Amino acid sequence: MQRYFRLVLFAAVMLVVLAIPVAAVLARSYFLAPTAQPVKAQPIQFPHQVHVQGMGLDCTFCHRGATTSAQATIPALEFCMNCHKIVPWEGRPDLERLVEAFQSGQTIQWNKVHQLPDHVHFVHAVHLNFGFQCADCHGDVGSMGKPGVKQVRDLRMGDCLTCHQQNGARTDCSVCHY
Amino acid sequence: MRRREFLKLAATSATGAVLFTGCGSIGDANPEHEFKIESPVRNPNDLLYGRDNWYATATPLSIGGYGIIVRVFEGRAKKVEGNPDFPVNLGRSCAKAQALVQEVYHPDRIGGPLRLAGQRGSGQFQVIEWEEALGQVADLIRQAPDSTLLITEPLNGALGAIVEQFVQTTGIQHASLEPDERVVLREAMRRVFGVDTLPTLDLANARFLVSFSADFLHTWISPVQFARAYGAFRQGRPDVRGTYYHVGPRLSGTAANADRWFPVRPGAEGLVALSMAQVMLEEGLVEGDGAEPFFQAIGLTPEQLGADFAPDRVADAAGLTAEQIRELAHAFAEQRPSVAIAGTSAAATTNGLFNLAAVFGLNYLVGSVNSEGGLILNPASPLPDELPANRGGDPYSQWVNIAQQIAGGQIRTVLVHRANPVYSLPPASGIQDALRGAGSVVSFSSFLDETTMLADLVLPDHTALEQWGLVVPEPGPGFEIVAIQQPVVNPFVNTRAFGDVLIQIASQLGQALPWPSQEAAVRALADGLRGLGRGNVEAEQPSEYFVTMQTQGGWWDEEARAEEASPQAPTAPANPEFAGDPGQFPFYLLPFPSDSLGYGEFSHLPWLQALPEPVSTNVWGTWIELNPRTAQDIGVETGDVVRVVTPQGSAELPVYVNPAAMPDVLSVPMGQGHKAYGRYAEGRGVNPLELVAPQAERETGALAWAATRCRLELTGRRMRIARFEGQFPAFQLEEFPIIQVTRPRT
Repeated sequence: MQRYFRLVLFAAVMLVVLAIPVAAVLARSYFLAPTAQPVKAQPIQFPHQVHVQGMGLDCTFCHRGATTSAQATIPALEFCMNCHKIVPWEGRPDLERLVEAFQSGQTIQWNKVHQLPDHVHFVHAVHLNFGFQCADCHGDVGSMGKPGVKQVRDLRMGDCLTCHQQNGARTDCSVCHY
Repeated sequence: MRRREFLKLAATSATGAVLFTGCGSIGDANPEHEFKIESPVRNPNDLLYGRDNWYATATPLSIGGYGIIVRVFEGRAKKVEGNPDFPVNLGRSCAKAQALVQEVYHPDRIGGPLRLAGQRGSGQFQVIEWEEALGQVADLIRQAPDSTLLITEPLNGALGAIVEQFVQTTGIQHASLEPDERVVLREAMRRVFGVDTLPTLDLANARFLVSFSADFLHTWISPVQFARAYGAFRQGRPDVRGTYYHVGPRLSGTAANADRWFPVRPGAEGLVALSMAQVMLEEGLVEGDGAEPFFQAIGLTPEQLGADFAPDRVADAAGLTAEQIRELAHAFAEQRPSVAIAGTSAAATTNGLFNLAAVFGLNYLVGSVNSEGGLILNPASPLPDELPANRGGDPYSQWVNIAQQIAGGQIRTVLVHRANPVYSLPPASGIQDALRGAGSVVSFSSFLDETTMLADLVLPDHTALEQWGLVVPEPGPGFEIVAIQQPVVNPFVNTRAFGDVLIQIASQLGQALPWPSQEAAVRALADGLRGLGRGNVEAEQPSEYFVTMQTQGGWWDEEARAEEASPQAPTAPANPEFAGDPGQFPFYLLPFPSDSLGYGEFSHLPWLQALPEPVSTNVWGTWIELNPRTAQDIGVETGDVVRVVTPQGSAELPVYVNPAAMPDVLSVPMGQGHKAYGRYAEGRGVNPLELVAPQAERETGALAWAATRCRLELTGRRMRIARFEGQFPAFQLEEFPIIQVTRPRT
């Protein structure tokens, strides 16, 4: 028995030692998944809820490139000011930041929520014209208030491929990697 | 190495590797900006998708001050249409209003305040800050308010109120510049009808119209209003088609619409009108007691009229036959309601005031003053104290005085807003040399026109689509009306509204005007209209009242009309005088305002440059119109360049042979010949004002630009005239018959 004890101990130690990297890889995959990330801090806590649910604006009212080009585009401050020049901003820090940035000619640098590596090409217009809604990938952004938008769908390559297969879209590499 | 050591090492390195990568975040190697996305400050020009909005506003007074709606898309003004609710134009608009969007986005627009950086007139400027520019103008005024002169276009409404307040509080002088024939027309209205406003016509109910040279469909006072009414006059009634006769020396685009054209000698319009009156009085065709005010207006007795103005006596001088004059008189007297108007070149001769007084006086004879189907006089501004009515322009003789005062040093600082005296006044006025030597010249123009080129400081104004205003349309539709102007787009470049600039300068001088900004003035004055308790806008609250007024495009009260008119002063008959000996200068030189470029104030807009003149279809240039026989006699044809010589100067122009030109009348369009004013205006054609002799209208002192004789000299050169008609041979289409225009059989 004593003769086998060392072998069993070795196997057990071996199993533990090998389990550590496996667990670490699994943990990384879980905790670092885009959907698991906390809501990113933004220079202005933009409440989509107020604009979409409150005002009834369509996504494409501000993200004007979505139906016609690759990027959905973020509106210019001047565009915000079309309405916000008549919305009182005093005492509302986020609006004060907007007006100050516009008046001083400073751009706003938002932290990207939906981040694709630059070797992936995603074209918004193609997907919307096929019939998808913004919410299919971005979730119900219209109900997200402050502090900001959270990513609700994985949107990594496996997710892309699954969806492409389910909808009969091409899955060869060059569809996205070109 | 023993097995134990190998296992330890393997386990440590594998775990370490995994932990090492696991502790970082995805994409650590990427630069930080990859994780950012930017909101630019300004809207990009290539936004792809959106919805349009239409905003109601008004054209500037120089285009009539009528209501328009502007299509705004992605923060850019795209298209102008007439405001369908606005009584003056009822949805119609003109090419000049359509081209307002080109003024906003013009490539040669001045982008911000400038200071002269070289010799005066060199066109070298450097950009400065607004505060610096305002401070410098305030200093200039502070130094010598008495010797400061502000030159504007005629202003009324809110901007008129601001300018009036500014002039009063600072004590500077003020002059306004408008086409001289308007000066004559205003005086004629004052004398014949006792009103300070310009008239309108109830053409929709009229049966007969006679126009003495007035180009009312294209250039005369309110072409949009009259063109719409003319449609109703001709085709708006099932059983009546109004008849229109034109009397004048040129077959203009308007005259080409007439049923009959009576070509008369330049300046003979008043003579024909008196002769028509003589026929009507002699044959008892006069309505009621209309003869009395008519004689008051022309300062004659019935005996004098009968003795000197019978058709047989005036026919030769007028260039018509006695029978034609009788025919005109009968048509005018028998097809009532009838209306007579005069303007354009009829007002621009040395006897212009008499021409207008005699023709407008005819309306008394047929009972057409302020009556259905007749000449409708306009009431003054609804708030005469707060919203000043049109001040009117100063006559040419006054400008000669002003030029002398500038040259003599009595006026040291000249401020110029939306006026271009260097171009609009003939060189003989001396204004150009005077401004070149003036102490300081400040321009508020958005473009480097001829006057702004001589400026030391330029404080560019917003364009019409970028600013607030209240405008009293001129002429109105026959009742009290105010148009509201609101910014439909944000200022495109670093400009400031003229009213704001005046208010800021006044506050720097320590003399605050009643309003903090031009917008505040508009809001306050609009609220004054609410205080009247009448009109189209129904709202109790001030804010609601203002918004309702903005959406409707203005305020009007159809019940508030002008009271009955009566002659105030007589205008005695006079014959036209022409500069130049008939032996040496056998032809009449007849400049005419261009239907698209006006008097040259719209030459910087390419849409208007490219709009064909309605009769010749010529574009982008100046030409001289010759009768085919005259052309044959001197041996030229269309495209030959001739030298036009007048007692005042000479210019080389291409000939356009026009079968409808009178043999001894040579017509030249105004509007070109700019030496500055942006890439589309500069160096193109000839300004006929450089050819006309500085003759003044005898009673008003206005420039008589149609009172010069000329001769032609051959140059032997040719040039192509840019025009639509005749560039390609006409070809037969099966479904359309060919119509041949022939001489009437006699």
